[in-house]
Amino acid sequence: MKDMLLYLLPIVILAVGGFSLMLVDAFQKEEGGLAIPTAMLHFASGAACLALWNYAGSPADLARAASAFNGWLAFDRTTLFLDLIIALGGGLASLLAGSYLNEHKLERGEFYTLITFASAGCMMLAGATDLIMVFIGLETMSLGVYAMTAFRRTNARSQEGALKYFLLGSFAAALLLYGSALLYGMTGHTDLAGIRAALAAPLDVPGLAAQEGGALALSVQQTVRDRVVILAMVLVIAGLAFKIGAVPFHMWVPDAYEGAPTPATAYMAVTVKAAAFGAMLRVLVGVFGDTTGAASLAGGWPGLLAWLAVASMVIGNLVALSQSSIKRMLAYSSIAHGGYILAAFVVTPRAELLPGGEGTVGQSAAASVLFYLLAYAVSNIGAFGALMLAGSRGKEAVSYDDVAGLGKRHPAVALALSFFILSLAGIPPMVGFFAKYNVIRSALEANYTWLAIALMVNSAIGVYYYLRVLVKMYMHDPAPGATRAEPMVSPGIWLTLIFTAVLVLVMGAMPQTFFGYALEAVKLAVAPVAAAATP
Amino acid sequence: MEATTATASATHLLSVLIWLPAIAGLFILFLPRQSPGLLRAVGLGVGLIEFGKSLQLLIGSDYARGFRFVENAEWIPSMGIRYHLGIDGLSLWMVVLTTFLTPLVLHVSLGSIKARQKEYVAAMLILQSAMIGAFCALDMFLFYVFWELMLIPMFLIIGIFGGANRVYAAVKFFIYTFAGSIFMLIALVYMAVQFRALDAAHRYSFDYFDLMRLGFPRNTEILLFLAFAIAFAIKVPMFPLHTWLPDAHTEAPTGGSMILAAVMLKLGTYGFMRFAMPFFPGASHMIGPTIAGLSCAGILYGAGVAWRQRDFKKLIAYSSVSHMGFVMLGIISRTPQGATGAVLQSINHGVSTGALFLLVGVIYDRRHTRELSEFGGLAKVMPWYAFFFVLVTMSSIGLPFTNGFVGEFLIITGTFTAELLRIPYHVDRASGPAFVGLGPMFAAFAALGVLFGAIYMLEAVQKVFFGPLSNRKNRKLQDLNSRELTGLIPLAILILWIGLRPQDITKSIEPDVQSWIDQYEQKRQVVTRPGSTAPYLLSESDLRPPRRRAPSPAAH
Repeated sequence: MKDMLLYLLPIVILAVGGFSLMLVDAFQKEEGGLAIPTAMLHFASGAACLALWNYAGSPADLARAASAFNGWLAFDRTTLFLDLIIALGGGLASLLAGSYLNEHKLERGEFYTLITFASAGCMMLAGATDLIMVFIGLETMSLGVYAMTAFRRTNARSQEGALKYFLLGSFAAALLLYGSALLYGMTGHTDLAGIRAALAAPLDVPGLAAQEGGALALSVQQTVRDRVVILAMVLVIAGLAFKIGAVPFHMWVPDAYEGAPTPATAYMAVTVKAAAFGAMLRVLVGVFGDTTGAASLAGGWPGLLAWLAVASMVIGNLVALSQSSIKRMLAYSSIAHGGYILAAFVVTPRAELLPGGEGTVGQSAAASVLFYLLAYAVSNIGAFGALMLAGSRGKEAVSYDDVAGLGKRHPAVALALSFFILSLAGIPPMVGFFAKYNVIRSALEANYTWLAIALMVNSAIGVYYYLRVLVKMYMHDPAPGATRAEPMVSPGIWLTLIFTAVLVLVMGAMPQTFFGYALEAVKLAVAPVAAAATP
Repeated sequence: MEATTATASATHLLSVLIWLPAIAGLFILFLPRQSPGLLRAVGLGVGLIEFGKSLQLLIGSDYARGFRFVENAEWIPSMGIRYHLGIDGLSLWMVVLTTFLTPLVLHVSLGSIKARQKEYVAAMLILQSAMIGAFCALDMFLFYVFWELMLIPMFLIIGIFGGANRVYAAVKFFIYTFAGSIFMLIALVYMAVQFRALDAAHRYSFDYFDLMRLGFPRNTEILLFLAFAIAFAIKVPMFPLHTWLPDAHTEAPTGGSMILAAVMLKLGTYGFMRFAMPFFPGASHMIGPTIAGLSCAGILYGAGVAWRQRDFKKLIAYSSVSHMGFVMLGIISRTPQGATGAVLQSINHGVSTGALFLLVGVIYDRRHTRELSEFGGLAKVMPWYAFFFVLVTMSSIGLPFTNGFVGEFLIITGTFTAELLRIPYHVDRASGPAFVGLGPMFAAFAALGVLFGAIYMLEAVQKVFFGPLSNRKNRKLQDLNSRELTGLIPLAILILWIGLRPQDITKSIEPDVQSWIDQYEQKRQVVTRPGSTAPYLLSESDLRPPRRRAPSPAAH
């Protein structure tokens, strides 16, 4: 029990903190002032992840943790790494929210409670090793995010986006639940390890083989099980792909991203993705990752995901090209980034050893996924933060035309926005480039040359719409009489931007250090699967 | 080319050359906008210090062979990325050309650019850093970083300070170049992954000398070569990938055009010479005649289109396409004369086209038009201007005693004698294939290009400077002012100096060009042996050219 509390520390901090925030908000006389405590809670949770890093260093540690959790949650470095991204994203988003909500007269304490509980849900989802836990985490996370999307109560777009997100999200959750139920029905387990073990063994009904025609009946049942498992896998993929906004489950993304208050948009782009990719890593690689064993029929998911990846990149980028709103462009680009991450994800089940023998191709790819998530988190929060900073109440920076001439009027704000946009575009010294580089390398290591080419072609398309922001800011003057964005005065946002900018630069200057951490993070979590798959 | 002759540099001269302008550029961003004098002083001062420093590279460079001023340190070890710099005869003069032109460009163009000088100076300096870095990088990843880094400042220079259609031109420039280089990145990563699989220590490597040891089966080699070639061919630009260039040149401010034509395009030809061809000798040999054919097409097409231009700047832009065709032809000839001529012609083109853009900028500043039909008889009102213009034109069309003559002559001789530019026409089982040499044909096309060049340039000069002074607006034009004059005099001196004493420059180019060819041939012999179905690693001895001169004692 004591162990368990220790392992749960990042989640416990957030959960307890969320309740306290609720109480504080209920008893305090005027609204506001909760942003900093919320950010502190998130950072404390992040610090707890760092502190626990060494408690997850060996297989013995993991085994002890697994027995403490009874197979509900995984306590390993993958979880800690993802939790760290979630804590970082949540903390920075609440700092941004402090200034943004004030400026736009939306400041109400519920936002901070919601963000804190949503983060706790994200962490649960990221660490879940049981299908029930996956569902609980997913719902905890989603409810918070739905409500945050609808936070601009008087704004029709916010309501529309939230409703769409909620309806489609519930549908996706139902798909996930249906898939889980099928898996439970076929195997009798909800925990991933149990499902995996049950699938790995050939189907056996005691006494059936001895009866007349029993062997045939058994083989029919075996076939039925295999087919149903594939169906279940597709349903689970659909449910999780919805959360990362992969095409064709992306319909909600632009509306929800545009309608939500910008800090919430930054938050969900980053943390929800991290959590959902964590869950995918556990479920897909953990259960169906074995492409050689009994579950090999369901091992076809990488091919499926590769197409999802390409579709997400292509549709995300092409539609982003034609947007007139920067926020919406960032939403579509988030779909494309999801595609890039999926491209690395496709390689994660590969169990061949890398030349030289340290680690497998799959581990390296999983590390690329984690690295990308971290890089995307800092660049994206920075980009949304800079976009927030560029506008003030009534003079918001939404469309490209709003920021025309910003480079002349407010060079510092324009520089900040360009900086993060260039990182998202993947221009070399920034971290976004190294993230893409890692994905390409992983794809090439597994001989997915076409995927690498698709990725690079898409990133060239992406450069066009990212550049348009720079073009508007530096090379255009606002049309006479048009609305123009006026930056808000906000030390809080500046602080966040400086912090993220430093991270972008540091990670870009020494990517090997951070990639090394990512590699450490997946070493124990992804290895057992890989080892099992090697004949 | 051999790693063994490389000597480490204790002075970190190349690092200083690369990073000083970048740091100064960032520093300038924090200077007050209200004091243009200070901005200009810092920009020019840094530029001149750079130039002075870069002259140190020339010390002891005569007849020297191999990489000098080498700096080799780890940057990102787990990804096999090193901070590896060095220069040899192929890159030496490109670096000096960059450091020579940047202060000159800043000096001249700050006369016509009045608004947002801060951004302009900063972008120019950062651009200089990236270009020098790309010329010095001996790690492919480092090279790629500098290669992409060049785009942003140039994009801003064109897009902020350019003409009416500047945004379109800037975006086209950026996208075109970026899209070209993505395939190079994939090829690079592929090579690094393959190197890890083959290397005894199983490490990734982007190091030039490591990747040089990779051999590939024929089809892979061709694909990889094409991935590199597209990136470089867009930069050169080679026909038919040149369409971004006229737009970029026409819209860019004078200084941007000068740097773009004089230095940036050279990175394309340099990339072919340094990377694409030595890495993939088999493929580049096979595709060589095609490249030579495209170069000739570019020479003739560029000249033909230039002839029909009414806009003076566009005319020079298309003449660039034509001139860069010569450079490519010299490189692909793989003869000592041709390749030396190509390097020399890169310098020449930088000097004379830089000067031409400067001169066009001069009359654009005065009349705000570049239409040839607007002018006539300018020699009467602007004698000094006419003098310099005619001198630069002579250099551009390759008149003897100017630099252009030497370069074009070397290239055409080299192409004429090129044995490697050949295609098999009959395969006999007993004696192997019989070849027909295409060198003389390409040389003839190139010579035709020289003739065309003379026609369109002289016709333009005749229209602008001679004849009656018919347009009244031109009657009161001012002759060159001191700022323009001080910019042009160094260029004019260079034109004559290289024209009269080309050996001063070629003597530091030739030895490395020779070993470049030797090593290319050696590797080509090895990789075209039949039988490989997977990538493999060549040994040191595979790469060592058979005849090898002793390094001269003067080697630094």
